[in-house]
Amino acid sequence: MSGNSRQTAGADFLVIGYGNTLRSDDGVGAKVAAAVAELGLPGVVALVRHQLAPELAEPISEAHAVVFVDAAVDAATEVQMRQLEPADGAQLMAHAADPRTLLAFAKQLFGRCPPAWWLTIPVENLGFGEELSPLARRGYETALEKIRALAGCH
Amino acid sequence: MTETSTRTITINPVTRIEGHAKITIQLDAVGNVADTQFHVVEFRGFEKFCEGRFFAEMPQITARICGICPVSHLLASAKACDAVLGAPILRPAKLLRELLHMGQLTQSHALSFFHLSAPDLLLGYDADPAIRNVVGLIQQHPDIAVKGVRLRKYGQEIIKFTGGRKIHPDFPIPGGVNKALTVAERDEMRKGLPEAFAQAKFALDLLKKYQEAHHDEVETFASFDSNYMGLVQPDGALEHYDGNLRFTDQNGKIVEDQVPPANYLEVIAEATEPWSYLKFPFIKWLGYPAGMYRVGPLARLNLASKISTPQANAALREWKDGRNPVRRSSFYYHWARLIEILYALERTQQLLDDPDICSTDIMVTARPVNEQGVGVIEAPRGTLFHHYWVDGNGRIEKVNLIVATGHNNLAMNRSVLSVAKKYVKGNQLQEGMLNRVEAAIRCYDPCLSCSTHAVGQMPLHVQLVAPDGQVLDELARG
Repeated sequence: MSGNSRQTAGADFLVIGYGNTLRSDDGVGAKVAAAVAELGLPGVVALVRHQLAPELAEPISEAHAVVFVDAAVDAATEVQMRQLEPADGAQLMAHAADPRTLLAFAKQLFGRCPPAWWLTIPVENLGFGEELSPLARRGYETALEKIRALAGCH
Repeated sequence: MTETSTRTITINPVTRIEGHAKITIQLDAVGNVADTQFHVVEFRGFEKFCEGRFFAEMPQITARICGICPVSHLLASAKACDAVLGAPILRPAKLLRELLHMGQLTQSHALSFFHLSAPDLLLGYDADPAIRNVVGLIQQHPDIAVKGVRLRKYGQEIIKFTGGRKIHPDFPIPGGVNKALTVAERDEMRKGLPEAFAQAKFALDLLKKYQEAHHDEVETFASFDSNYMGLVQPDGALEHYDGNLRFTDQNGKIVEDQVPPANYLEVIAEATEPWSYLKFPFIKWLGYPAGMYRVGPLARLNLASKISTPQANAALREWKDGRNPVRRSSFYYHWARLIEILYALERTQQLLDDPDICSTDIMVTARPVNEQGVGVIEAPRGTLFHHYWVDGNGRIEKVNLIVATGHNNLAMNRSVLSVAKKYVKGNQLQEGMLNRVEAAIRCYDPCLSCSTHAVGQMPLHVQLVAPDGQVLDELARG
């Protein structure tokens, strides 16, 4: 446990899903990650988080590839998968955290940043609750397919 | 403008208590600070909407008060529920709850120092706000940032291994805990201790060097007389999970000792002000507001006679410094926080070495027999009270919660006034002034800070408004 978690050390493919599971669709990213963990795909490690935090920089730096999964509240109506590059910024541990900042941390602190993707799922309900809306549920299923496909390539 | 006219600076929002707060600063006619208020503008309502719930639900409900300190509420709530049950928990369960607590102390204090306060200390209070945060720290001091990240991670790993998950573990329950520790989990935690100790000692050295280099500034930063309250062991040693209440005056003299926590209403009362949703606890026999007291790391070390673990005790001796019976400057919260990390790590080692730590005898079952239950712990930020009144079926009739940020409300207001008087001058508003006012609040590590949207920055909008409504000056950030 010396800063190198047994769980994530050198994961082939790291999935980080984050969000508040008590705010309906906001938790879709976390639920996707939980589902990926249940699948038990070889070489795939899934982390379920409430928010992005600097502690994730080390397992990210050790992974061969990483995908972040989050709810999207912008105008997009489909699940989007965008490749990411590290970028400096101050948005971390925030409601609208930017995973590119975390990638920059990984590179700066631990010397390495793997190929990374941001998988965003369109949502419509951010009220109190634990259920996904039909829109988020469709995105959830699509996200799982995309992660399986991407993980199969790494 | 007449000679008797005054002007008001409003900083709104300052930050949140799981919500928001603001500061108002009143200037006199010549531009000096006359008075300040620290307003908490968010209403939570937990004490009210828990009425009618079954008492055993309270740990899981109250854990949601906060995302940084759910463990503290879980433990205090579980203890209150234990009191309702009227059955003492088994020793292995108590050891495991305390282990969880040590993980919480470690991660919370590491977050406060490295992520929230170190940017001011290492980059400067007047540094560009764009870099005066953990991002800037990582860019300019990556070696220190790594230590902070790993130390906090170690605390979170203790919580995960002990409680099952890092955030909102459902582990402490009325009557004990619901998960035993495996030998593999215990051994994994043992492996991380040497590095964690090294990181904690590094941070202590860093802060001591800062204190030496900025001695006068440190000694006078939000420095004032106050009483202190906290839990202690029967021999007066520092205590975080059990113990009784001790009160000392501004000179460190013990004025009330070994008060059973369940009797807290005999010694503490709460006042309200129309300009804040946060209550103002005070010591009864001193009245309001003279009965102001501080809690948390500064208070705990001021009133503890010793620390039961050797390295932390040595650090406490150095902190107490012989010449000063108490440390008055709010800046010393930072130093005290780091000593408590050292204690938490030593105590973690003791707990992991205890032969009962992997026992599966972790739960008692009983029917609720008492009409009230009080659970008190020393959370990272200070003394936390959960008090439940229940009916014959175990349903909650009334709840009283006093959280650490509340105890420190009068003191935080006093700190803001002290810092504002020292740094706010004339009609020119400078960003560094705002940051110093913020830093005074940050000494207390209130739950306000954990709700900011950007790490290390509290959104601030300050307007200097003339009596006729004309905006004379304006500054915004975040």
